Amino acid sequence: MFKKTHPLQSKSEIILRNIVVTVMVIYFTIFLVVPIGIAFAGSFHEWNPLSGTYNFLGLANYIEVFTSGLFGKSMLNTLIFSVVVIFFRVGLGLAIAYAIYSTLVKHKSFFRAVYYMPVVTPMVAVAFVWKFMYNPQIGTINQIFGLDVNWLMDPKTALLAVMIMTIWKDFGYAVVMYMAGLYSLPADALEAAKVDGASAWQTFRYITLPLLKPMTLFVVITSIISYIQAYVQILIMTEGGPGTATYLASYIIYDEAFVKYNFGYASALSFVLFVITAVFTWLSFRVSGTEE
Amino acid sequence: MMKKRIFVAMMAAAMAMTSLAGCGSGAGKSTGGNAEAKVEAPTEPFGDTIKYDPSVEINDGKDISVELWEWGSDDLFQQVIDGYTAIHPNVSIKLVNNPWEDYWTKLPLALDGDKGPAIFNVHNSYHENLINYMAPLDIPLEDLQADFTGVDAHVIDGKVYYIDYGMMTGSVYYNKKMWEEAGLTEADIPKTWDEMREVAKKLTKRDGDKLIQAGLNFNDDFHQNYLLGLNYQLGEKLFQEDGRTPNVNSDAMKKVMQMLVDMYEVDGVGSKDFGEKGADSFGQGQSAMVIQWGHYYNTLKTTWSDIDFGVFEIPTFDGNPYAYNRYNGESTFGVNKNAPADQQAVAQDFIKYFLANDEAQINFNLAMSTFPAKKSLANNEKILENPSLKVLSEHIDHYIWPGPMPSTVETSLKKAGQDIFFNGVDIDTALNEAQENIIKDMKNSSFVSVENLYAFDK
Amino acid sequence: MKRKASSIILNLILLVVGAVTVYPFVWMLFSSFKKNSEIMALEQHLLPQEFILDNYVNMNAHFNFVRFFLNSLLVTVVVTLLVVYTSTICGFVLSKYKFKGRNFLFGFVLSTMMIPWCVTIIPKYSMIQSFGWMDSYKALIIPAMFSGFGIFMMKQHIASIPDEIIEAARIDGANEFFIFHRIILPMAKNGISSIAIFQFLWTWEDFLWPYLVINSQEKQLLAVGLKMFNGQYSTDYGALFAATAISIVPVLLIYLFFQKQFIAGIAASAVKG
Repeated sequence: MFKKTHPLQSKSEIILRNIVVTVMVIYFTIFLVVPIGIAFAGSFHEWNPLSGTYNFLGLANYIEVFTSGLFGKSMLNTLIFSVVVIFFRVGLGLAIAYAIYSTLVKHKSFFRAVYYMPVVTPMVAVAFVWKFMYNPQIGTINQIFGLDVNWLMDPKTALLAVMIMTIWKDFGYAVVMYMAGLYSLPADALEAAKVDGASAWQTFRYITLPLLKPMTLFVVITSIISYIQAYVQILIMTEGGPGTATYLASYIIYDEAFVKYNFGYASALSFVLFVITAVFTWLSFRVSGTEE
Repeated sequence: MMKKRIFVAMMAAAMAMTSLAGCGSGAGKSTGGNAEAKVEAPTEPFGDTIKYDPSVEINDGKDISVELWEWGSDDLFQQVIDGYTAIHPNVSIKLVNNPWEDYWTKLPLALDGDKGPAIFNVHNSYHENLINYMAPLDIPLEDLQADFTGVDAHVIDGKVYYIDYGMMTGSVYYNKKMWEEAGLTEADIPKTWDEMREVAKKLTKRDGDKLIQAGLNFNDDFHQNYLLGLNYQLGEKLFQEDGRTPNVNSDAMKKVMQMLVDMYEVDGVGSKDFGEKGADSFGQGQSAMVIQWGHYYNTLKTTWSDIDFGVFEIPTFDGNPYAYNRYNGESTFGVNKNAPADQQAVAQDFIKYFLANDEAQINFNLAMSTFPAKKSLANNEKILENPSLKVLSEHIDHYIWPGPMPSTVETSLKKAGQDIFFNGVDIDTALNEAQENIIKDMKNSSFVSVENLYAFDK
Repeated sequence: MKRKASSIILNLILLVVGAVTVYPFVWMLFSSFKKNSEIMALEQHLLPQEFILDNYVNMNAHFNFVRFFLNSLLVTVVVTLLVVYTSTICGFVLSKYKFKGRNFLFGFVLSTMMIPWCVTIIPKYSMIQSFGWMDSYKALIIPAMFSGFGIFMMKQHIASIPDEIIEAARIDGANEFFIFHRIILPMAKNGISSIAIFQFLWTWEDFLWPYLVINSQEKQLLAVGLKMFNGQYSTDYGALFAATAISIVPVLLIYLFFQKQFIAGIAASAVKG
């Protein structure tokens, strides 16, 4: 089945390799390649499983995707949403992780646990809690800051409000990731910097930060993948409103697929989104200069 | 050290909570047991034109089990099931409850497979997703028409797949205490929109510039309670003559929308930012009046029991409307046409039992605050005791049903309204956009309006 | 002196951020002891004015917590164990064996991580239906057995295990199955615990898929059960908050238990990416 390329291969290695590779290929074929193929074919059709419609449309679904003002707007929202949330997730995560890591802070696991709480709480529940906190009359946020803002209904603040909630929910993930990164820093590099008389900021800027780059890349990429797919917070907090001010790309897909049952159009949207995700992921690899 | 302490605290909390949940489980089971215990089984046939004869065996007396899917009201359904299984102990009906939104994602997908429930509760707003999976009712059309109103709107090629047991529509709910404080009496109950706006002004309170009590609040539900209904008062339907093209950018719709904008921005009886939802704001004692559909009566009774409220009929523009408002049906169950024949037979029989059974009809209508579609119950005492139903009784024949509109009609108008109030879009543009959106979304829909079946159609 | 001052400031900042993080939970917890009318009342107080346990006691009417919890635990543990095993063994083969198509296979696995849920969920649903797996845990477990993310993480992690150890074992006559199970698995402990925690959390929180394929109440999972409080005309907030409060406790406990290995594991796999 496989050509022998390694002179030292034992029989058991070949058996194990063949089993693993075969199972992997079969598995990914059934649960990924085939569904993707079906969805891809479906994206060229008018496809509604409930009425049993499956008519060939050619490129019509894709043309609709690219001419739909709503999709363009939602892509822009998705872009703003992802960039801002990732920026703060990474920034806040790094700053807090570095603070906890510092010898000046004692109760390290206490803080780690506290910041991680929102990460493990289901989005459905926290979205409802935050919806209450944003309420213009009875919400905690207006009460504490003495404001009179209709957070989720004002087109200027609605997306911002959802982003703040998402940052709150997710920054703990970055904290833990960076903690892990910091603990595995080579002690000798930091020691050497100290001996050379580098200031705390210089050490951070020229030694710690570059050494944490792989971790940053990891956090950024997993974030891109998950934020391009975010929809639950929109579903619960704004339903895309006011008007269409907070539509995100995944929310449209959810709406088209499981509310309107336009599976064909939803599939076309998904593929466009997939390509965009892939491009951005590739870009972040490029920007970081890591090639693998 | 810290870790250990947190851990211990968490553990203690977790144990306290699981034990609580444990208590709950015990209590829940015991009440369930009681409810099943004693239900009297009738032996004589009952019903009006549709008769149910309890002496006829079902499934030849052999044991059979079917599923019934519904959303949200276990107890209500369980009562009917208990009544039915008391007559037919060989039948067991398993109730499956799903939350409302999820029900509509899941039910069509389940019906598409071969494991769908034999009986499922229907809501006409999801008509198109379900109709292909439904078997027609066994009951003769004439019998249904004889006992129930609004059956004609449900006829498809001479067959009926489900009907409405009740009609829900909007009425005005007002806070009696605020009403008195404003020096208003029973005699001030408005009949026209002009009167309504005057009353609303009197009920509005301000502290300097700041609104502290809204006279009227329609936040978050204006589309459902005003836009999709008041057009009829002005003689304009929601769909054009072909029954397919929406009519939401009509002059009537623009006039209604303009009135809403004026009430907030000219009269100042409320504000788009005052109270996230009109319904909640009324319950919080912040708003003096809201227009809500029948279900709100139960919300007030359960969640907002402190509010002393009254109900009056929706005002009109000139006292002589084409129709007062749109209504929507709460529907009976549907039968899964792909279910095994013996299960379908049980499902058909169960629906017949439900339709013939006055007590079940009354219970369902009261639970949903819907006006009974069963003609013999229109003047039923228990029904008229509910004020939200009493106000409808006089003109109930002057309410119109457009048919099972695709949900895009509602959501597109909600978006249009939000665009007008929050995003500064003008009324014409927003409604034209809604019109186009609905046309686009309805491209593949088989919906045809039944507005022309309205008894007083011109 | 300066050190002490900055220590206080730093701790203070962390405490403030911590307070902001925890506040919504505190609010949720207190609200779970309130009536719905009080949760929505105009006059807001953090502490319940009328302390009630109904939300917890009545929870079972719609939300069989113990049952949902055990179901979720079963499915999550099984999926997590399977994913840990498959990820480790695939990671081992991909990092330590050289064969034609290896890079292609690994590239493919990586790209699977980028496929949005929405692309495959529709066809996957029809496939599960045609396999007759609806309403069974097969539908939850089998399609989740392999994880692109897990394989990626474990490949990185195992690459850091020196080849010499494996070679030495081979010279001692150990076959590859022995090497994998007795040498690689124990040595990949940290990587395994980070995968385990990630996978546990994902499976625990996953909503849409179990929701679509599981119909029976008695088989339903916790995350789906939480949606039960969302009614046609209103949401039962008190009950939702109560149910959420008790459902996050177990996850938090697991995190607290394993956080050391978790952090060490992430450090060993991701940093070298």
